[in-house]
Amino acid sequence: MYRFVEHTAELEVELEASSAEGVLEDALHAFAELAVSGEGELVERRVELTAPDVPALLAAWLDELLFLADAEGLLPESAEISVDGTTVSGVLRARPGEPRPLVKAVTLHRLRFRSENGVWRGRVVLDV
Amino acid sequence: MSELQRIDETTWEIPASARMDMRVPARIFADEEILEEIAGDLSLDQLQNVATLPGVVGAAIAMPDIHQGYGFPVGGVAATELPDGVVSPGGVGYDINCGVRLLALPLTERDLGDRREALVHEISRAVPAGAGKHGGIRLRGTELDDVLRDGPRALPGVRAEDVERTESEGRLEGADPEAVSERAHLRGRDQLGTMGSGNHFVELQQVEEVLDPDTARVFGLEPGQLTVLIHSGSRGLGHQVCTDYVKLMDSRLASYRIHLPDRQLACAPASSAEGKAYLSAMAAAANFAWANRQAIADAVRRAIRSVLGDDTAARTTQVYDVAHNVAKVELHGGTSVCVHRKGATRAFPAGSPEIPAAYRGVGQPVFIPGSMGTASFVLVGEPGSMERSFGTTCHGAGRRMSRTAARKRVHGSELRRELEARGIVVRCPSPKGLAEEAPFAYKDVDRVVRVVEQAGLARRVARLVPLGVVKG
Repeated sequence: MYRFVEHTAELEVELEASSAEGVLEDALHAFAELAVSGEGELVERRVELTAPDVPALLAAWLDELLFLADAEGLLPESAEISVDGTTVSGVLRARPGEPRPLVKAVTLHRLRFRSENGVWRGRVVLDV
Repeated sequence: MSELQRIDETTWEIPASARMDMRVPARIFADEEILEEIAGDLSLDQLQNVATLPGVVGAAIAMPDIHQGYGFPVGGVAATELPDGVVSPGGVGYDINCGVRLLALPLTERDLGDRREALVHEISRAVPAGAGKHGGIRLRGTELDDVLRDGPRALPGVRAEDVERTESEGRLEGADPEAVSERAHLRGRDQLGTMGSGNHFVELQQVEEVLDPDTARVFGLEPGQLTVLIHSGSRGLGHQVCTDYVKLMDSRLASYRIHLPDRQLACAPASSAEGKAYLSAMAAAANFAWANRQAIADAVRRAIRSVLGDDTAARTTQVYDVAHNVAKVELHGGTSVCVHRKGATRAFPAGSPEIPAAYRGVGQPVFIPGSMGTASFVLVGEPGSMERSFGTTCHGAGRRMSRTAARKRVHGSELRRELEARGIVVRCPSPKGLAEEAPFAYKDVDRVVRVVEQAGLARRVARLVPLGVVKG
């Protein structure tokens, strides 16, 4: 699950799932809500991202979604991914479309991504 | 905040002793009402975080339009001593060289008559807004790198006087396309000449009031005159440059033994390989942003030509173009410093060699857009800015309410009706986006500019009011 939290100028997203993969998938859905849906044919992309630490993996994942939307007009719809330490790999499904260019960037401010008592929680501030 | 000390009518300070990790005080320009609003979010905590940066000198400074951001607050200024003080990409922000450009038309609102809606409509057709990817100038081969190196000069048919009347003449030295990643190139290749979203806009205005007639005359402004204010930045290219270098510097913090209270403040000594590469990439993105506003200005002139004729378009002049998200190497008090301005505008006073010759006798023009539907201001830099704020003043009204809260309070269509009832023509692709930029979501711009005037940073020259707005 994800929710948007009040911030004077930017947009903070809080995420919670039973697995690291679940948090990243929720992050995808939060991003998709902001960027609107694509309309073209479904496209599959293989992804493999490595970050210097676990929280940075959440930022790197969203950076990847943002890049695909902004540079290629691909709007994410779903993903089949696995997380191994600080690497995420798998398949991303997206549709071509006209993204709402609201999200400019993914910041490291207040970034969080960790397991607490068996629940994975994430938090990220987006520059909008 | 108990540590806050009043220095004078419009200056407050949190001493460096307030926190163990602060190297300099945090200085805030505000009146009591604005200070109360500022204290409502995390702006002052973020300002104190900025005061911890290695090499920071003087004070971490907040303008009256300050609001909570990420890492640096928006409306913040920090100077670090060179060569070894740090440069922080987050201290510039993702929208590198977001800024404003003012055009002056040779007509008054009365001359425009019933062509107001046609002109705003034509501007909205000429300037791609909202959807990020399409409608911009498609750059081929090495053309993008030419823009990154040379800014507006790389565009065909650019008027020499436009370039002269642009901060740093639209070209920061040291720009290196090689320091700009392939991803940033890909994001920028077809976004030149597009406005983007959020608070970006093109606004048709009239000069409602001239407060300093002598300076206004030098800037080519008179009562009733039509103006067009353009607000945009470096688009996806700049966002990617910042993303790349925040990540790079974040990964090298330990090697420079830098400890930060906020990861988003990631930085490196300006003299380091990472610092130099960032400054080269940032300069390239800044040049791209100036070229972007130039391309938008050219599109506005085409719209003017289409509605008002060739002669009016030819006599539409550029007053100036200022950056409000940038880091620049400048000399202050005999020391070479890297001045980070994030949501803050350079405001050099009369006599500065950095100012176009035509304005050197009066000072640098500064443009302060208000919130949508309210007034904007033309200011001029004052000597106090050099003494108190590293040659800097505010950049806008400053948000005081989240986008969600604004959307809860008004619907975009309702706001559009309100603005139209006041005779303001509105073109916006997204009602949601319109609501997010509602005037009540911002501080009172009249109050903000009064503070910077009272503080001696800049003085008011003219007040502009909107006739039409094209939103991103």
